[in-house]
Parts: sequence; C-alpha cells; structure tokens
Amino acid sequence: MNRLLLAVALSLWSALSTAAINVVATTSSMGMLTRTVGGEFVKVTELALPDRDIHTLQVRPSMLQALRQAQLVVAIGAELEQGWLPPAIEGSSNAKILPNTLGYFEAAAQVPLIEAKGNADRSEGDVHPLGNPHVQLDPVRMADIAQALAERLAKLDAPHTNIYRANAVAFKTAVNNQLPHWQQLAANNKGVMLYHKDANYLLVRFNIPLLATVEPLAGIPPTASHILSLVQQFKGKKGVILHTVYQGNAGIAQLASQLGWQHMALPLEPANNSAQQAYFALIEQWLTAAATNK
Amino acid sequence: MLYYNQTRRFSSATGTLIIMYKLTAFVLGLFSSHIVWAESTQALSTGNRFNPQMSLILDGNFYHDNQKAKGSETLDNMAGMGHGVGFAEEEAGLQNGFNLGESEIVMSAIVDPSFDGLLIMTVGSDGGVALEESWLQTRLLPNGLKVKMGKFLSGMGYQNSQHKHAWDFADQNLAYLGLLGGEGFKDTGIQLTWIAPTPFYALFGVEALQGNDQERFGTRINNADAESIIATTQPLADAKAGPRIRTLFTKFAPDIGDSQALQLGLSYAQAQQYQQLLDSDGTPLNGDEVALDGKQTLYGLDWVYKWDSAGEFGQGDIKITGEYLRMKKNMTVSTTGTSAGLMVGDTVTGSQDGYYLQASYGIAPRWLIASRYDVNGATNELNLAGVKTDLKQSSRIGVSLAFSPSEFSRLRLQLAQSSIYDDAGIKTPLKQVFLQYTHSLGAHGAHKF
Repeated sequence: MNRLLLAVALSLWSALSTAAINVVATTSSMGMLTRTVGGEFVKVTELALPDRDIHTLQVRPSMLQALRQAQLVVAIGAELEQGWLPPAIEGSSNAKILPNTLGYFEAAAQVPLIEAKGNADRSEGDVHPLGNPHVQLDPVRMADIAQALAERLAKLDAPHTNIYRANAVAFKTAVNNQLPHWQQLAANNKGVMLYHKDANYLLVRFNIPLLATVEPLAGIPPTASHILSLVQQFKGKKGVILHTVYQGNAGIAQLASQLGWQHMALPLEPANNSAQQAYFALIEQWLTAAATNK
Repeated sequence: MLYYNQTRRFSSATGTLIIMYKLTAFVLGLFSSHIVWAESTQALSTGNRFNPQMSLILDGNFYHDNQKAKGSETLDNMAGMGHGVGFAEEEAGLQNGFNLGESEIVMSAIVDPSFDGLLIMTVGSDGGVALEESWLQTRLLPNGLKVKMGKFLSGMGYQNSQHKHAWDFADQNLAYLGLLGGEGFKDTGIQLTWIAPTPFYALFGVEALQGNDQERFGTRINNADAESIIATTQPLADAKAGPRIRTLFTKFAPDIGDSQALQLGLSYAQAQQYQQLLDSDGTPLNGDEVALDGKQTLYGLDWVYKWDSAGEFGQGDIKITGEYLRMKKNMTVSTTGTSAGLMVGDTVTGSQDGYYLQASYGIAPRWLIASRYDVNGATNELNLAGVKTDLKQSSRIGVSLAFSPSEFSRLRLQLAQSSIYDDAGIKTPLKQVFLQYTHSLGAHGAHKF
C-alpha cells in the first residue's frame, strides 16, 4: 500500500515538475529573479557559478544539455555572455530559445543601459558599445526586469499570468521597501574605486562616486605606471577599493596599501539557487563595504 | 520610480509619477493587471543589422628548425601506409625566419528564419586564396536535430572541428598530420546531428561527404596526374559517384558539476573510394610504380577533460585532451609499372594509427602553458600481396607558452623535439621553435567546447 502511495506521489510529482516551465539562467542573479517571479511554475537551471567571471566562462557540454531541454533562457545580456552563450545555444539545437524568440530573455534588453558608446573600438579594451551590461546590482532595474520577465512567463504560460505579475509586483514592493535603508547606508559616501566597471549600476543608483577603475581599460590589467598614477591622484583622499572575488590582480593590494585604503573582494552574484533575501543581502554587502571609506 | 524615464515601457503610463516608493508599489499592485510591460526578446548585439558579422584572424611566426628549414618537408614525408605520391597543392613549407601564416576572413549571418550561414576564406602569404569552409545550418529543426550542408570541418574526433586559431599549439599534431593531413578532415557534403533528450549530454552525428577535398583520407587521384608518375594510360578507375565518404560520430558528457567537464567521443569514417600511387624509389616513370584502388576506414576515440578554476583570465584552468585514430586500407593493384614487384589484382592492405595527449594549465592570468606528446604510426604496417612491411613510428614532444594581452590577441613560444622517420626507415631528428602571434579582429570570438 505504501509503495502504491509512493508510486502515485512520484508520478504526480513528475507530472507537476514537467508542467513547470524549464528555464536556464546564465547566472545566479538571473536564476534568483526567475524563481522569484515564476515561483513554483518554473524549474531553473543556473549555468555559471557565482564566483566566476561571466566574460570568460567557457562552454561545457552540460550547458548544451540544459539548453537542449529549455523553454526559456534568461541571460544578463548586452554581450556579457558573448564568449560562450551564443555557441552554447547554437550547440543545443533548440530552436525555441534562439534570440528574438519567446524563449530568449536578456535582462539588459529590458531596461535603459548606462555608458552606451556610439563609437567604440578595441583600443579602449573589451568595451561594450551597447552600454554597461552588469545590470544585476541595480535593484530598481532588477524590479523592472522582474516585471518584463513576468510578462514573458505569462506569454509562455498564460493561465498563471496573474501569479507572475503579482510576484513581480511583490519583488518591486520589497525593493522599494528596502530602498530607504539602502540609501541610508550609501549616504554621503566619499567614493569607491572598482577594479572593473562591474558595479557601476549600484554606484549610480545610490549616488556613490566612482573614483576610478584599477584596470586602465576594460579587460586590460593595470601596469605599474598606471597604479603609480592612481596613487598620485588619490593620495591623501578617502576611498575604498571594491573588486569581485575573481579579480586577484596584485596591483589592487599594492594600490590599497599605498593609499592606506581598504580593499575588499565581493561576489557579483548571490549564491547558486538562492532566493530574494540572498540578493538583498548581496546589495547590503556591497553598500556596507562601500561605506568603509570613511 | 523616478530613476529614469520609464514612460515608453508602459502602455498606460499615466498616474505612475508618484514620488513615494510605498505608495507607488501600492498603486502598481492595484493596477498591475492594467500595466503591461513591453518585454523584449532581443539579444542586444553590436553585430551589423543585416550585413554578415565579420572577423579577421591574422597569424604569423618566427620559425627555426635544425634541418635547414626542411621541417615541413620531413613531416610531410613521415612514414605511413596512408600516403603515397602526393598531388595536393604544395603548401609553402615554413622557412627559417619570418613566416606569414594564413590570414583568415570569417563571415557569418542569419540567412532567414530557417538558416545560418558561414564562410571562411584564407589568404596565404603568396596571395593565394583558399575556401576553408562555406556552409548553411538549420535553425528551426525540432527535437535536438540540426543539419549542416556545404563545406565544413567534419564532426569526427575532437580537435578536427576546432579552428586552427583555437589550438593550443602552432601546428597540427602528428596523429592528424599522418592520417588526415595538416588541414584535418573537411569536405563538402551534409551533416545531421541529434542531441538526445537524456540527463547527460549525448550527441549523435552522421555525415555524407563528397570525398573531393582530402589530403590523406579517401583521396582520389585523377588520371592526368597519375600518368605523370606511372607510364600507362588510365592507370586508375574513374571516380565513383559521390558521396564517397560517410562518417558516424557520437559524444557523451556526464554532468560533473559547474567547474569541470568531461567528454568522450567515438568516430567512424569510411571512404568508398581511395586511390594511391606508390613509387618506392621516388623517381617517376621508371617502372617500379604501382597504382592502387580501394577503400579506407577510420576509427577514432577522443576524450577531453576541463577544469574551470575561479581564477581570472584562465588562471588555474586545466585542459587535458587525448585522441587515438586508427586507419585501415583495403586496396587492389589496378596498374603496375614494368618492373614493379606486384601484379594487377594483387591485394594491398595496411593499418596505421596515431595518437596525441596534450595538457594545458593557466599558470597566471592570461598565461597558458601546454605540453603535447604526439605519435604517428605506433601501428604502421603495409601488406603487399602477403608480404608484410613494418613502417617506423614517428613521435614528438612539445611545449608551448602563450600570453594573451587581451581576448583578441595571443603571443606564443613553442618548442618541439621529434624523431621523424620516412618510409625507408631513415630517422630525422627534428627540433623546431615557433614564436607565433595570432590576433583576431572584429566580432567577439566565441568558442565551442
């Protein structure tokens, strides 16, 4: 009898789980957002570990396998995943998730981007002429992306439209409830130096000045003379160097010690398979770190 | 709400300009069913709207070997039952000193909803243009199916479908060089692949290829060329109708987590028609030449392991690749010269294998060290009408150190030491040094697994 019940439960569970929309998210922030909006009606696979540089990730066969079965890809976009997502989608032989179909969703395509450049060439490093793609640290943009994502999920699964919309609104409300607290954390900040322009959306959102980037050009490591010029420029001023966990350039520590500043390594993404709280904690972690420059 | 102008995103934007966050959220909650976001399916891309995406790959080197720049020739004549007198277009060998590699032009675009297209041409240092690849690929087939047609790199093996500029070494490994030729296995035809809906990655592929473009495997020789070597008219059978080469390949990759990957591949290829001219003394038209007609089969086993570390720009990344290829031929003597030891109708068979094992490690951000051991002809036997001859095994060991100032450029130093034997069993100790640059311009590169 127990076995029969188990079998029934299992088959029900598998029927329910196949009913969920199969979503592949490139990063854990996109996974978090998809789960927050989709709730129990989505099954999310995340492709990148949160401590990896999304620029330089490489295709793995398991990515192709996940994409082969996917109904929706949720990417950060604006060519951030350019080195691996297009060949992974092509290699998955899945027509449902090609760009410009309902199965393809770029967060960066849903919101206005900062730092777009009309004219760009590679003498400026690995620039993104479309704009800075790292939108995930702006909670307000993320709330807007959540609403766009709710509409997309509604198109793929019309019966649950109201649930998706309500979940997106709940996320937006939660963000708006947090904003005063976050703004308080960020108030009167003297400024932050980043290694790469990957937290600019956060800084712009909370009016924290970006003092400089340690790398002279996007994707190009600093030379000793660039470090020296930064030391001369910021000697005697207040600041803090924030960089991501994968940016381990020796110039960071050297610069920090010469300026007498702190330098801190922070993740750009919440933990894998995490929920809204983990994302809010990430924002709080960045803002708290930024506030250590007093 | 007033962080940026959102009005274009709302179908009913009125009433949203409320300053207090909580009130805004409340209002949004009340009217959420009336606010429809115009979500976008677009992939933000710097690619030109309708023009093909283009990239150029520029390559050159400073090269030196200890054989007075006869290194390329030595390697071309490496002992193997799988090569005869060659008629392939003579590629200029590497000179001691500066060499310009092939300059590659890659163009690709979405043709229409159903097809992608790609073209790769190379321009040699002498200005000669060659068509490397030109294919169309389906976009919309269901159930994990994909069809590619045109001229393309065969999906057999692992390294075969990797483009040259993505190799960890400046030159072709000895296994491929001896069995498939320096350019690898590419031809004109059609490919069907299927990814199974399994919990692990499983790809199955089948190809039908014309058999016109082969350097080593499934080569045909036209009679005009053959007559310049062997003193008979029409020494070889006419071309059979194509496609003359068929391949089958499969790849499996268990999911072993997000920071590592393992893939195993099996391949099989059959050439319905294979022609060879043997000229043991190397002097044409003096009677010892033999023309052979027959078939060839190729088996391959490949495995790749990758470790993706959390280090930046490849630091700590590991990649280990190995491939084993084995080729068999089954031929009949169709014509002989006056003094050849073989008779028309005699059977000539042979088998030859090759393998390589290579590993790379990111010693620092942007710095990659790689080593390779490659072998041609561990089995290398020829059976001429019941008389067995063993040809020698050639092997090489090499190391390379590459530095990539950016994702678009790479400088590489490569050292190799090899023992290359020719068909007569004479050994050439070959030492080679490459100092190579490979730069890509244009569209951001993306590499498959």
